[in-house]
Amino acid sequence: MKPIFARRFDRTVERLSRTAAQLVSRRSFLSRSGAWMVAASALPLLPVSRQAQAADRPAKAAGKFASDFAKHAQTTDPTQCNYWRYCSSDGYLCACCGGGPSTCPPGTSPSPTSWVGSCINPEDGKTYLIAYRDCCGQDSCGRCACLGQEGDMPSYRPQVNNDIVWCFGASSMVYHCSSAGLVGLVE
Amino acid sequence: MPRCLNSAALAGGCAVALGLALAQPVLAQSTPVSNVPDVLTRQNGLRVTPMSHSARVYAENCQGCHGPQGVSVTEIPTLAGRIGYFARSPEGRSYLIQVPNVALNPSSDEEIAALMNWLLYTYSGQQLPGDFKPYSASEVGLLRRERVDTAAQRRRVVDQLSAAGQLPSPAALALPRSVLY
Repeated sequence: MKPIFARRFDRTVERLSRTAAQLVSRRSFLSRSGAWMVAASALPLLPVSRQAQAADRPAKAAGKFASDFAKHAQTTDPTQCNYWRYCSSDGYLCACCGGGPSTCPPGTSPSPTSWVGSCINPEDGKTYLIAYRDCCGQDSCGRCACLGQEGDMPSYRPQVNNDIVWCFGASSMVYHCSSAGLVGLVE
Repeated sequence: MPRCLNSAALAGGCAVALGLALAQPVLAQSTPVSNVPDVLTRQNGLRVTPMSHSARVYAENCQGCHGPQGVSVTEIPTLAGRIGYFARSPEGRSYLIQVPNVALNPSSDEEIAALMNWLLYTYSGQQLPGDFKPYSASEVGLLRRERVDTAAQRRRVVDQLSAAGQLPSPAALALPRSVLY
């Protein structure tokens, strides 16, 4: 014998589903639920301005940055991908390859050309311009591969694209690692 | 100073450059100077001065190839001491805005006008004509929307300037010969 509330619950559900079955056609149910499923899955795909996310607004409130990278960045260990200057660095970190965050390892030479991006320093909330300068002349270093994407544009905007091997003008076009030198402070 | 720091740090001669830079009266400038909160710059006391907006636009869009001082490797045309010659003729003045990396840049007309004026005065003031009129945003807006064959226009402008005696030598605006890798 079922408890009384379970029978009442069963009856209510039965009544509701019978009413729905009489009033709503199967096609209408399918089309409506399908529409909701499409809408729910398409919502995250709507265009989102990445430039606005990476914009150089100073820290709004304590610890709040316009950039996701800066929220998790640190200023003490240049051998980690989340070191603040690497927000747009794509490649092997020179700091892991015998060089520093802005110096090339021995046996390689800094490319005379580079691309310039901007990163937020998580400690003062200010935006600094960073020159992503590849070190060239030896095979790929292969250590500490990092992929920062802030401000990165498709390769039809080559001056702000980090997939390019920036060894133009260097004695060798062979890429070894990526450095991130400070260019200046943005007001 | 930041430009010098960048290249100096890359060359590994950071300490000497810093000593010199800090010895200079950087602090006397009107713009505030701040320490960079960073493991390396805390050690060496690196300070940077804020950049003007046009300097920033230049750094983000041009400097990577054309160099922080407007001079780079042989493959990249030199800006410093050269671009002012173009402003000596109306066609050349248009060419400076219609050259693809200026015309098609994502920056606004206002930013492009400010950048080009800053660039001309900063890196090529000596070559500017005496009556140079700075670019306005509306002039830039009209020019950059016009489609032209920039290579042919450049040749025309250089020939005209050369014939009018506006260039010290025909090689003053010569383009680098392309190098095959």
